Amino acid sequence: MPATAVIETPTADIEAVYRDAAEHFGHVPNFVKVLGTNPAFCRSITDLTIRLLQEGRVSWAFKELVILKTLRATGVYYGYGAHERLAVELGNSADRIGDLHNALWEDSPHFSPAERAVFALVEQIAEDANDVGDDIWDPLHAGWDEGQLLELTAVITTFVNLGRMFDTLGVSDPALFARPVV
Amino acid sequence: MPRLPYIEPDEADPVTKQVYDDAEARFEMVLNIFKITGNAPEIAQPMWQVYFDILQDGQIPWVDKELLILKSTKMGDCLYCVTQHEVVAGRLGVSPEKQADIVGVEYRASSHYTPAEVAILDLCGHVVVDPESVPAEVWRRVREHYDDGQIVEVVATIGAYLQVSKFGDALGVQLEEVWHGHEPVLFAAEPPTSSASRQHFEHFLAQSPSA
Repeated sequence: MPATAVIETPTADIEAVYRDAAEHFGHVPNFVKVLGTNPAFCRSITDLTIRLLQEGRVSWAFKELVILKTLRATGVYYGYGAHERLAVELGNSADRIGDLHNALWEDSPHFSPAERAVFALVEQIAEDANDVGDDIWDPLHAGWDEGQLLELTAVITTFVNLGRMFDTLGVSDPALFARPVV
Repeated sequence: MPRLPYIEPDEADPVTKQVYDDAEARFEMVLNIFKITGNAPEIAQPMWQVYFDILQDGQIPWVDKELLILKSTKMGDCLYCVTQHEVVAGRLGVSPEKQADIVGVEYRASSHYTPAEVAILDLCGHVVVDPESVPAEVWRRVREHYDDGQIVEVVATIGAYLQVSKFGDALGVQLEEVWHGHEPVLFAAEPPTSSASRQHFEHFLAQSPSA
């Protein structure tokens, strides 16, 4: 049970948030209902999450792998199962998901050099974001354009946030989406 | 050096320009961390809205959120965030003495802190280190002083500042010149623990007119 109230029936000031969430996710995920006691954050955090969980400058399929690696690297597991299912539904093989574990990605034949560069960024951000050097940024710039790198950094750090926030509050979302995503 | 270009206001698309205008209205300038998000305007707008919500009175006072921001970003050795929020906290009435006591667990025995503030700073420490480690007695103390909507705001503030500190540091976002000369409080009380952050801190002190 979450640390704070779960708002099943939205008050007038969050009805639109629940409607937008239901449209995007096919239902109202529990994280939205837990944010429901604070309308401002219910709106803004839901909007940011919706923005990232869709096709963008980077494919949604790869963003799901980045999210899984971020959760693993930071030791938080909010929505891990849901993101694993999304990763599969969006076309990732079980090998690609399995090779996210520990350092297997470094020598995995299932990832491109550009993808491996992103996992290196994830691990360094998790360990010490002050120390992301040329050894990490040079391969990133070789594989991605500037808009994509901004999006990838936003995805990583947003899920540092969401993982910690919802693990702290005891939120469980075994299925983020109740509709097909492809 | 920043790892992506800063998109200046005169180069920004209309969506980004609106974010910049909102930021300037609130913070008196367009900070470099806003300018770097101009590389993906569709992300800049929803991302910064979370921070616009934090940096004002909400279900808890802005000044309480500044304590959480200082605590969480200091624990992440984020020179960019700590420097700016020492100034913001000061403007909101948090004395340098009170700010300095936020390091480690000094605040617990500090006369500057109320039991309510101690409770959310204890929660903050656990969230930053490991959410799994939050003890029941910390939750009990937090719930003595804060209702559900306030607790959501406390945890959202901590999470958001973990996010933005790592975001800015990873992208190499530089402190704007306006902060050079600021007398550090938290890092003076406790130097950065990360060797990379120590180098950033020494570089910052070398740029300060008072150095």
